[in-house]
Amino acid sequence: MPDILEETEIHEDLDLLLGEPWVTIVWNDPVNLMSYVAYVFRSYFGFSKAEAERRMLLVHTEGRAVVATGTREEMERHVEAMHDFGLWATLQKAGR
Amino acid sequence: MKPFARKGTTYVATFAPDEAQLLQQLCLQVAELISAHADYTNDAAVNRLLPDAYRDDDEAAAEFRRFTADDLAARKAANARVIAAAVSEVAAGRVPAKVVVGAAEAQAWIRSLTDIRLSIAARLGIETDDAPLPWGEPLVDAYQWLGFVQESLVRVLR
Repeated sequence: MPDILEETEIHEDLDLLLGEPWVTIVWNDPVNLMSYVAYVFRSYFGFSKAEAERRMLLVHTEGRAVVATGTREEMERHVEAMHDFGLWATLQKAGR
Repeated sequence: MKPFARKGTTYVATFAPDEAQLLQQLCLQVAELISAHADYTNDAAVNRLLPDAYRDDDEAAAEFRRFTADDLAARKAANARVIAAAVSEVAAGRVPAKVVVGAAEAQAWIRSLTDIRLSIAARLGIETDDAPLPWGEPLVDAYQWLGFVQESLVRVLR
């Protein structure tokens, strides 16, 4: 007898493997404080303090940073959370 | 204002009545602005509070907005009202007094302070990192001060 749950999980994995992954990008803006952006990255994405700082500085110096990769649905959830925090975030297919 | 400090599981700052009044007014204005968020295309502040989730796909951006904007706007208005309620007593008083903010409330504070600053910046046309602030314009002092309040809270947040 097939384990439905297990099969569903496999399908999701396949989807991620075969389908193009998506990314969440946070863009620089002149308003948000560097300390706040680092705090959001740390508290929401669970990055270490150093990693959160690194990505925050990427946003600041490069104008943008990828903060998450996964399915489109996951990235939409992250973008909505970033908009909750007032960060300027978008999602797109990876590698574009 | 005396900056936020951590006290056990809470965060405590001291505000003067006029500071609390300013904060309260700005919060209520943002709550009102965001509650009537339909005009995001013509209002730079609303557009920044509810930005497009897709840069190069108008259809997907519209779809995302259709499914998320109402809830996002409601949460932002609720966050603003958390601050307005927290400072109302100080705002109505005559002397500076402490405002005690719980951990969950603090999350509303940092989000809404951001929303207020984003709204003011949109109104002032602050668009780049190195653009000089338009000193003398109304709200520039408030904008700077709100940044100070937010920074002081973020610094002590767990």
